[in-house]
Parts: sequence; C-alpha cells; structure tokens
Amino acid sequence: MNELIPLMVIIPIACGLLLNLLHKKDRSIRILAIFVAIVLPIIPLLSNFGLHYFGGHAPLIDNSTLLGTLPSFISNSALAIFHPAITYSYQSLQKLFIFILGIVAFFAIFTSFNETKKVSGPYMFLMFMGTAAVTALLLSDDIFHMYIFFEIAALCQVGIILVSSTKGNYETALKYMILGSIGGPLLLLGIGFLLGAVGSVNITDIVYAIKHNLVNPFSQTFLIGFGLIFFGWLYASGLPPFHTIKSSIYSKALPHSAALLQSFTVITFIALGIVIFRIFSYLPFMKMVILIFSLITMILGVTMAIIQTDFRRIIGFLAVGELGYIGIGIGIGTTLSLTAGIFQAVNEILTTALLFIGFGTVFYLTKTSDMKKLGGLIAQNPKVAIMVLLGGFAMAGVPPFNGFQSKLMIVQSSLNAGFPEIAIIAVLISIITFMTFMKVFHSVYLKPKPQDLQVVNESIPTSTIFSIVILLIICLIIGLFPQLVTDNIYPFVARLI
Amino acid sequence: MGLYDMIVNSFKEVRKKVVKDSATNESVSSALAAELTLISTLLIAAIMLRHFNITLTVVVILGLGLLLTTNMPLIPKIKREQDDSLEKMVFYAILTLGILITVIYWGQTNV
Repeated sequence: MNELIPLMVIIPIACGLLLNLLHKKDRSIRILAIFVAIVLPIIPLLSNFGLHYFGGHAPLIDNSTLLGTLPSFISNSALAIFHPAITYSYQSLQKLFIFILGIVAFFAIFTSFNETKKVSGPYMFLMFMGTAAVTALLLSDDIFHMYIFFEIAALCQVGIILVSSTKGNYETALKYMILGSIGGPLLLLGIGFLLGAVGSVNITDIVYAIKHNLVNPFSQTFLIGFGLIFFGWLYASGLPPFHTIKSSIYSKALPHSAALLQSFTVITFIALGIVIFRIFSYLPFMKMVILIFSLITMILGVTMAIIQTDFRRIIGFLAVGELGYIGIGIGIGTTLSLTAGIFQAVNEILTTALLFIGFGTVFYLTKTSDMKKLGGLIAQNPKVAIMVLLGGFAMAGVPPFNGFQSKLMIVQSSLNAGFPEIAIIAVLISIITFMTFMKVFHSVYLKPKPQDLQVVNESIPTSTIFSIVILLIICLIIGLFPQLVTDNIYPFVARLI
Repeated sequence: MGLYDMIVNSFKEVRKKVVKDSATNESVSSALAAELTLISTLLIAAIMLRHFNITLTVVVILGLGLLLTTNMPLIPKIKREQDDSLEKMVFYAILTLGILITVIYWGQTNV
C-alpha cells in the first residue's frame, strides 16, 4: 500500500484548501477538520514501509528492460543508480513522527474549536498546510524538495502568528520573516553548492557520490555547502542565534497553535539534522560543531527561561533549550546517542504540547500570561493544575515519565562516548528546568491570588481537559514502556550508521 | 473624561515608563540561579577541550573563570543582548554566519 505514502501530504493539503474555501461555514469546517485530523495519525499506521517515486520514475537500475536499451557509458555509470524523480522514503522513523505529529495536530485543532470564538477557514488551512509541509520534510529524500516545504512551513508559522490576535503578534511575525530572509536563502544556496558538485539533489545520490569518490567531499564547494546548510538548520530549528525569535514566536501564538508550532520545529530539526548527518558525517568537525551549538542552546535556553516573567515565553525558551538534548544525541553520533536524541524529540513534542495546552488554560481563564498578575489559580481547577504539574515533571525528566527515559539514555550515551562533561551539563540543565517549572507553577497556581486578577472565563472547555489527559497518559505510557518508541527508532539509526 | 482625570492618567503613564521593575525575591533568586548555571555550565563545557589539548584546557578554564567572575553580574548583560530587538537578532545571525563559514572554510583549507 505504498500509494498511501504521498497521501500523508496530499490529504492535509487538500483539506486545508477546502477549509479555506468553506470559510464562514462553521459547521462544515468543524466536521471536515475533525474528520481529517482523526485520519492523519491513522494513515501512517496503515501504510507499508517503502519508497514512492513521483511520476513513477524509478532509478534506471530498477528497470532492467530500459537499462538494456541504453549505451554502456550510461548503464555502467552512476546515472543508472541516481534517482530521476522526487522520492519519498517511508521508514519506521517517519511512521513514528508522522503519527505523533498527527496526534498533536488533532489536539491542537480539537482544542482550538472551543478556545476561539470564531471558526476560521484560513486558520485551519494554515494548521493543515503546516502539518502537510513538515510531513513532506520527513518523507522527502530530495533536499531541494525539503527546502520548498521548509519554506511553506515557515510561511504557515508566520500566518498562524498573524491570525492569533495577541499583543505584538504582527511585529514578531514580521521579524521572523525578516530573519527567514537571511536563513532561508542561505540554506538554498548551500543546496545549490551541493547540486553544483554532485549534479543531483537526491540525498541518497549525494551520499553515494561521496562514498564512492565520485566527488571530492573535502572541496571548498562541499565545505561552503555544509556551512550554509548548517546555518539554515540553525534558523529552521531555532538554535542560537535564532532562539530568541523562536521563543517569541511560541509566546505570541495562541497556546494550542504554539503546541503545533513547536512540533513543526522539532520535526524540522530532526529532518534536516538527519540530512546533515547523512551527507556530512565524513567531516571530522561536523559532530563537534553540532555539539557546540547544542550545548549553547541548552545553556541559553534555560538561563533565559529562568529570568522571564511571562509563562508562555518561559515555556518557549524551555522548548528551545530542550532541542539541545536532541542535538547532543546527533552530535555524539553513536547508535545509542542518536536513538536517545530522536527519542527525546518524540518526548519533547508531546510534553511541550501538553504544557502549552495545559498552561493555555490559564491564558484562557485570565487572558494574561504575565506571572506578576497571576496567582491562586489552583482553586479554579485543581485537577488541571495537577496534570500540568505532572507535564512539567515529564519535561524536566522526572521518573516515571517519558522525559526521564530519553534524558537518561542521553546521559548514558555521553558517558559511553567519553564525554562525562556533557552528561553533567545535561543533568544540571534538567535540574534547572525543574526549578524553572516549579517557579512558574508556584507563581501561577500556588501564590496568593492578586486582588485585581479577573477571571474572564469561569470554566475550562472539556476538549482542552480531554487533550491534556490523553497527552499525559501518552507521556506516562512511553515513560513506562520506552521500547514502544525506541523499537521504531533503532532500526532507522542502525541503517543510518 | 475631565481635565483632572486626563492629567492624573498622564502622570500614571509617565510613571509606568520611568519606574523600573522592582526587584522581588523571586526575580533576584532567578537571576542568581541563572548566573550560577551559566558560569558552571560554561566551565564544565570548557573541560571538553581536554580531547584536543590538556594545556590549552587549563589555560582556557582559568581565563574563562577569570573573565566570567570579573564581569559578574552576567545575566543582565545577556538579557540585554538577547531581547526582541531585530537589530540585535540580525547582528548575531550575521556574526554566527561569519564565524561558522570562517571556521569551516578557512579552518579546513588552511590549518
């Protein structure tokens, strides 16, 4: 059933376009959006692993009849192996992430219907289009195709911020676009250098050309290509120097869309990170550069988070800081560390979505995220408060939640690889993350309620509570049975190394 | 709104702009925690240089320790540099790109 592979991208795009056309037909939008949001996580479960060639153009080597008719200087060359079509590769890793993305997208869309007064077709379009774009990023084996969808995802993120109607959203969206005008074109330029050197933008072809000495991988073209693609990766993932704008983006989005935006970021980080690892792992300094930026991300993310007074900004900085753990997994570059890093990515998507939606209830009730103006909200809904507390535990790496398992694996892999310093920093940052979270929890829920604090909405929508409960249960299940996730990651990593 | 109210409101507006945020127990302890985290993690990270050269590691750690402690408090400075100003974001983006390309391109071809 390989026909399902392109449908993972086509269905959300088609749904988004249709929802845009149905704008103002609230009931139709709700029904269609919920239906497709339910379908999205199901498709990857039904699809078989394999490749999909757009236009049906398989490599010549797979078509012996055609290959026999060609002259020997073509049939005996690398051209016979190269991929003429845009290729989608669907493996265990893609299955895992597309499934998780589908779940987060479902909860973001489901929650949005009750938390926003009006149902907006264009808003739904942006959410589905962004989901389709990052799905294509995961599936594509073509680096230029990835760039196209990376830009679409970036534009969708800007659109989601623009329609959020929060204070300062236009300014933040504009800044993100301006910075994107630096990061995006440089990424494209890096891809151009690779195309110039290899003659193909297919990642498998580029790796083949490097491994079989068809090109000089230490040439200036490749080095510059690496530098520019790496810089584009920093922009796409919100690693320093783009951590400030990324956390700002999260804080200006509505909480449920921030949950979806952070999943876009993490998946883009993983998709491009794996591409960099596949193509440039022969460079002796590649892993060191990733490690340096990952450590800076962790340190800056958590130190900037502690000193903020806006809880949405704090979660934004913590989410960016957590990316450092994933980067460390990729940077160390062993089988265990890569598995741990990718496992951490899955956990981050889930826990950060839980926290954004969970703390989003505070924003929904009070219309403020300034912690100086908040307090005593545990009396409003103690059950939600406790679930948010447990979500914070999951992010900080407290057992028995999922964050504990992945962070423990990262610490173990650092020690095994001879980097005890990284293990110490990882533990230290986890402790500070815990402390930061407890500070937020105390300020929002436990300290005395300010007299001038007005509760705008009396009760939290049932859909939001449902989303929080299910996400928390998933975090707990993965924490207790990590092999449910790692068994999907390990085969992919084994092939990667 | 009467003239009196307008004057009072304008005073309130001016006061909001002039008066800085008061330091609370929470903000001070947060800044202190961030300061200690920053210094300790940077020093620990610097130990990783031992994979290249032990002498260099000792020199860098001593130098970094001296630099960090003599420039305390660091967090207000970092917070000032890491705000939402577009100019600063663009500056650091260009600076990072410059360092990255220099180290990768020039470092690999000339060292």
